[in-house]
Amino acid sequence: MNSQDLAVEAAAPERSRGSWLRSVFREETFFLIVSVFIGIFSGLAVVCFRFAIDWCHIYLLGTGATPSTTRLLLAPSLAGLVIAVLVIHVFPLARGSGVNQTKAALYIYNGYIPLKTAVGKFITSALAIGAGHSLGPEDPSLQIGASLASALGRRMRLSRDRMRLIAPVGAAAGLAAAFNAPISAVLFVIEEVIGRWTAGILGSVVLSAVSSVVVMRWFLGSESLFRIPPVQMERPSELIAYSILGVVGGLASVAFSSGIATLRPWCRALPRWTQYFQPAVAGLLIGLIAVLGAPQVMGAGYVYIDRAMHGQFTWQMLAILAGLKIVATLLSFVSGTPGGMFAPTLFIGAMLGAAVGGAEHVVMPHLTGSPGTYALVGMGVLFAGFLRAPMTSVFMVLEVSGNYSIIVPVLVANTLAYLISRGLQPTAIFDVLTRQDGLDLPSMEEQREEGILRVEDAMRAVGDPVLEGEETIGSVLGQADKASSDILLVRLSPTGWSSVSKEELQRMAGEGKSELSLNSLFMTRPIPYLHPDQSLDTALRFVNRWPLVPVVSRADFRKLEGVVTQSDVLSRYREFGEG
Amino acid sequence: MAKARDGVRPTRASSSQYYQIEMAAERSSAETVAAGGKEPGRRLYFGRETATLALLVLLAIVGFAGVSGLSRIYHAQQEALGNRWFTRGAADLKEQHFDRAVSEFRTALLYSRDNYSYQLNLAEALIGLKRSSEAYAYLLNLWEREPENGRVNLELARIAAQRKLTEEALRYYHNTIYATWASDQEVERKNARLELIEFLLGNNDKTQAQSELIALAANLDDDPGEHARAGDLFLRIGDDEHALAEYRLGLNEERRDPAVLAGAGRAAFELRQYTLAERYLQEAVSANASDTQSAQLLSTATLVVKMDPFRRQISVAERSRIVGEAFATAGQRLKSCFDAGAAGGQSSLGQEWEKLKGQITEAGLRRNPDLVEVAMELVFRIERQSSAACGLPTGTDLALLLIAKLHERN
Repeated sequence: MNSQDLAVEAAAPERSRGSWLRSVFREETFFLIVSVFIGIFSGLAVVCFRFAIDWCHIYLLGTGATPSTTRLLLAPSLAGLVIAVLVIHVFPLARGSGVNQTKAALYIYNGYIPLKTAVGKFITSALAIGAGHSLGPEDPSLQIGASLASALGRRMRLSRDRMRLIAPVGAAAGLAAAFNAPISAVLFVIEEVIGRWTAGILGSVVLSAVSSVVVMRWFLGSESLFRIPPVQMERPSELIAYSILGVVGGLASVAFSSGIATLRPWCRALPRWTQYFQPAVAGLLIGLIAVLGAPQVMGAGYVYIDRAMHGQFTWQMLAILAGLKIVATLLSFVSGTPGGMFAPTLFIGAMLGAAVGGAEHVVMPHLTGSPGTYALVGMGVLFAGFLRAPMTSVFMVLEVSGNYSIIVPVLVANTLAYLISRGLQPTAIFDVLTRQDGLDLPSMEEQREEGILRVEDAMRAVGDPVLEGEETIGSVLGQADKASSDILLVRLSPTGWSSVSKEELQRMAGEGKSELSLNSLFMTRPIPYLHPDQSLDTALRFVNRWPLVPVVSRADFRKLEGVVTQSDVLSRYREFGEG
Repeated sequence: MAKARDGVRPTRASSSQYYQIEMAAERSSAETVAAGGKEPGRRLYFGRETATLALLVLLAIVGFAGVSGLSRIYHAQQEALGNRWFTRGAADLKEQHFDRAVSEFRTALLYSRDNYSYQLNLAEALIGLKRSSEAYAYLLNLWEREPENGRVNLELARIAAQRKLTEEALRYYHNTIYATWASDQEVERKNARLELIEFLLGNNDKTQAQSELIALAANLDDDPGEHARAGDLFLRIGDDEHALAEYRLGLNEERRDPAVLAGAGRAAFELRQYTLAERYLQEAVSANASDTQSAQLLSTATLVVKMDPFRRQISVAERSRIVGEAFATAGQRLKSCFDAGAAGGQSSLGQEWEKLKGQITEAGLRRNPDLVEVAMELVFRIERQSSAACGLPTGTDLALLLIAKLHERN
């Protein structure tokens, strides 16, 4: 039962009996049902999106594995021209990956994402990815899901609170269907978009993600994005090898995100007319890379991730592919071509992982990890280092591989990559992009890292005597006179706290209540108490209503650890702000 | 809880609960006002929301129907493209254009990533290109999906055998033998076992090879070729009796099969059944005059039979003649070996030979039949020691050496 339920029950217990139908149509329950429909519609949309990408690929690049030179050069560049016109004139909000737009809907636009954005994202991203731009379908799917959910919420005239949440619910559904990984999608949306865990949000997000994955699997089968070869780690000493991968991955993440952070504003600062040609030029350059021998960098590249996992490239080739994919993705993304960065991130990570693993095998032939194991760990490494989603990065690898024996190398390598990336580039890529777009959305990473002030930081020692509940008014008058503070705490029996002023005590004595115990007088007016580890925000709720709030031990509520007043809290906040 | 809202705190309620209660109550009252006096958390939606739900269900049904239609088109197209590229790949694989076949199978897999047959053919094309590590990865994947598939197990066994991973190879070979095959199951299993035996013989593991071979022999069809193959393998592991038995089974089916006759002759020869060997080899040579190996073996067998003084049903005169010839041959062998520079016991043997020479006449042997034993014993010693010192002899010397071994055993 959440706080709201608690409150409702407390407010009107007499109404708690209702029919099943009544409970279904309570807004919070109804929202859960709507979440399932959001998942279904997002799943259907993502399935169509996948069809569209594949059809674009077939008709633009042909059915063969290696398209002709003409197609390699023309398809991405001509598609780039069309995309530029569409993005500039018809779907201006379709630009970019989609993650930040969904966050903006949550924090700025009360969950509003125009349906036109979903249509635009669908068309332009399918065209871009199908034509060979180095982008992925996951982030667009996320935005398509969010946009569909937002449209549905508006039609249903949901409350503002629900409307704000509905975009992330749709986002989770879209991402889950695109990734065929509901756990990772739920974690990513909570970790990077919503930024907090509550039962209400979690329920909706999980329901939508699961229902979208069910729909997607209904039409496209339950196979994961890549076939996972047997993964193993036989000797703990091999963690050193994975640590090296973590370091390399962290550095590659920094290079990748720095490239985007530098080139994107530069491209956007170019004259407006160049924006018509930027995606086309990017497409031409990517086509050139393909013609020169690396067609693998085109599109999402899942097929090649699969091949890398099965040891079908030499480590030198894998390293080259990782480097070229960074270049190709930079070109596509900074040119404003709509499309996602998840797939390229996984591609770079897989290639880099398998390359590092292959190189290590040359130096240390006794290593038992297969190229597939290193590629899997590499994907997690880039996810942690570049997208800065450490939790999602771990669960993504586990969910995709379905093998928990890989967890230790993943944890080690991801942590290293995350720390290196954070150390060398303090602002996460999504936050960089948001700020470049002139928005100031809350940074989930900054929130996670933010220092929290606790009650113990503001509380002070108890200087004055504490009055015991069993004592009488008359017996405590003497103690009260000696106290420096005007307010005194009363320890009630058997438990609880109250407070009383000197003046009130004297007035009560004057009214002939000297023989009455403090318990009998103050049991009905308890005051709240705090614990040292609670946040100072919590204290702030009380100190304006009670002049002196006791801070007690969690082990013994009668044991006083200190006291806190409004001025203590405010001065601590002031010091923190200045510090 | 109701008391809390009135400002009366329940016993041992923490401040966070207090806060939640208060905040929820505030939010509840604020929303109540916004909703025109009703609490939104409990607001009933019977009319509008029932219709909305019905509409959503309808939309979902329409959506499913629409996407199902698209899905059918999409999957049909993917399947057709996959088949098209697979057919091309299969043709190239058949013609051993492995490079092209690999590319085509890979393209086919783009359209049907988990197609078992596409992957298996790709693995075989990769093996053809000697890219066994790539093939191995595919095959392992296929093996996980169908651990009982004979073809996959066989290819995995071959790769493991190439990599000298004996245990792994044995495991996959055994899987292959007991696996399921799409067609000709028995033939495939027999072939797999034959391949396993070859692998074991390559590893000089004759004991295990013999047990596999016995299992194989128990399941052979009435095909002389199969019996001949089994017999050859028995010969290779030194199990001459089983070899002869297999050849005989083969001859039961085809009495004039030259290969089986030659094998039977060889087996009988190894078993020192020279008379039988001579018979089989004679038939083999007459059936296949170009079989020089059998012809050579036949001449040796004939000599052994002819030069054996201990064989039954020969006259005393004939025996004396044979002993005389054998004695003379051994003397020649000793001399040539001595001339070639071999020393050691040759001189004492020579003295013995010289000493006995005068007695080894037809008359002498007839007078003293014990001399046959003495003379032949010396002949055998000479042939053995000469063989050790000067290498394996040929012709009559070889025949004498074989006779020595024959009687040594007896």
